[in-house]
Amino acid sequence: MERKQIRRRLARRRLSSVTLPALALLASAGLALSACTSGATSNGGSSGTTGAAPSAPGASTAGGTISIFVIGGKSDDPFWSKVKRGVDDAAKVVQANGGKVTWLGPQNYDNLGPDAAKLILTAKSQGATAVIGADWVPDAQDEAFKSVSDSGVPVFLYNSGGADAAKTVGALTYTGSDELLAGKVGGQFFAQKGVKNVLCVNTLPGAVNTEARCEGISQGISVSGKSTQLPLPSSSFGNPTAITQAIKATLLKDSSIDGIVTISTQDADSASAAIEQADAASRVKLGTFDMDDTQLERIKAGTQLFCIDQQPYMQGYLAVSQAFAYNAYGLLLPQSPLLTGPAVINAGNVDQALAGAKAGVR
Amino acid sequence: MTRRPEVGALIGTLGVFVFFAIFGGAEFLSSAGAASWLNVAAELGIIAVPVGLLMIAGELDLSVGSVLAASSMTLAIVSGHWGGPMILGILLALTIGVATGLVNGLIVTRTNVPSFVVTLATLAALAGLTLGLSRVITGTTSVGLKPDPTSKALFGTLISGQFEVAILWWIAVAGCVAWMLQETRYGNWIFAVGGDKESARATGIPTNKVKIALYVGSGFGAALVGVIQTILYNGAQVANGQSFVFNSIIAVVIGGVLLTGGYGSVIGVILGTLTFAIVNQGIYYTGWNSDWASLILGILLLVAVLMNNTFRRLALSSGPRSQRKA
Repeated sequence: MERKQIRRRLARRRLSSVTLPALALLASAGLALSACTSGATSNGGSSGTTGAAPSAPGASTAGGTISIFVIGGKSDDPFWSKVKRGVDDAAKVVQANGGKVTWLGPQNYDNLGPDAAKLILTAKSQGATAVIGADWVPDAQDEAFKSVSDSGVPVFLYNSGGADAAKTVGALTYTGSDELLAGKVGGQFFAQKGVKNVLCVNTLPGAVNTEARCEGISQGISVSGKSTQLPLPSSSFGNPTAITQAIKATLLKDSSIDGIVTISTQDADSASAAIEQADAASRVKLGTFDMDDTQLERIKAGTQLFCIDQQPYMQGYLAVSQAFAYNAYGLLLPQSPLLTGPAVINAGNVDQALAGAKAGVR
Repeated sequence: MTRRPEVGALIGTLGVFVFFAIFGGAEFLSSAGAASWLNVAAELGIIAVPVGLLMIAGELDLSVGSVLAASSMTLAIVSGHWGGPMILGILLALTIGVATGLVNGLIVTRTNVPSFVVTLATLAALAGLTLGLSRVITGTTSVGLKPDPTSKALFGTLISGQFEVAILWWIAVAGCVAWMLQETRYGNWIFAVGGDKESARATGIPTNKVKIALYVGSGFGAALVGVIQTILYNGAQVANGQSFVFNSIIAVVIGGVLLTGGYGSVIGVILGTLTFAIVNQGIYYTGWNSDWASLILGILLLVAVLMNNTFRRLALSSGPRSQRKA
């Protein structure tokens, strides 16, 4: 979701900066393309509840039955399907104790904030004993989160929002990743491998999340090296050839660059081609935020140094486990944020990551 | 001789080339540097040439961005996700382009709705269709593909490790179109349709058929680039291609084609595409902070077009009889 959210933001930004109606439409097309899609509700792996349909039995706290509602993306979204695997696995413990977990997702992402806010209120009205949600659009959702926490039902934020947002809406904890920290860890990993001059390729310059990623890299490597950002204009967006050639040019121009990090896996593919075409494979090491099979294969083959995983499975698993433990026994961890990432996947642990990917968990 | 639409465009191309040769240094002039802008120009050019023809005929095609994405995804899904033969995927991908062009052409000629609106609609509709179907079929928005050696060699290989075969495709497309525009009666028809549709029709030119054929051409060009990129990068993403919509129009306009139609040439469009690509990529050879890339891009494009217009005015005023004012 995080990545897609960045794209949404970009889409909005472009929209406001250009007057041509065509570009506005383009932007919204891009928005539709990159947002994570519709969300028919699905069952959180529990005993036959039906998601958003109000036919759920509506267990009440008074009866002592635990009913945890999780608001997430659509389960066939590659990212969210991993989150949901974690939710499903944690739900087994809840079910064993007679409770249930219900997964709610918006129909689509065109109107994400208000839709998510409605789902939060749906969860409340169905007698949730705990609500887990991602704070994607704080302006639209915070009111709904507050109304839940004000009514005495515990709220847990995950995936998006952070510890500060959790405090604002009265949530007990935040479970997820932190872009700045993820960048720092990546930068430190570069430094550890002797890399001195990192280029952070940012195909979405100006977006909060991508800027935080590059800033983190810069902070992480600052002890022994430096990182500069290569911001690419929107006229290159979605065109792997333009991005590849821009990275190649930068590599040819500055022979001191010995590390490249990209903000998305598609850009990492472009960067990999650029390194090859600039004949710089021997000096330039590649890393990227996010993870997919291609990245893992390159790490396995030794042509890529690392990728940074925010471990979505853990977000779902830990959020539900916390909600259950709090509901059932009043247990609460002192950590907020409870970080599920970053995890650096490199040659040393790539085999486990590949096995996890095959199992649909990573 | 005096009425050469490409003179201004040529000076624009040479101007930006010299500019970046000075500020970009030896790397810009190396073969790797040349490959940088040639690769970008080739892919853009395969779309810009047929789009340029359409614009000479007085119409726009904004749907190329979505056609590129749809064709990429079709190929990746058919030959990658389903494991079908490459040739089938490639043919279906190209068919998507032809079909979209046909739809665009039919709607534009039958309804008289401005082509800007019609193709804007197909741009959006096809983007939605591509996303929706990709999600339903594969559950994801990016699909991998392992092309066989033949398709890789034909569409997605790098000559001497640097130059995309797309450059050859571009030359082929441009050569065919240039010949048609200058040597056949269809070329005259296209100019006539763009100049004055009513008199063109009165002289017996099948204006609607000409336009439909041109839309099929631009759809095909965009689909071809979709095939090339998918095979070159071993996979497709739904969000790809949208930047080609405006980049192709920019390239055509820098190339001296009038937005109102009736004036332009293929050589001009080629030069315009080169100018755009040189500016777009040259900036990374200057070593300047690329925060300013878009600004420099904008200024240089504006200068190129102004120069173009000046030369077009000169060309037209010194001609034996100027039919149109720039």
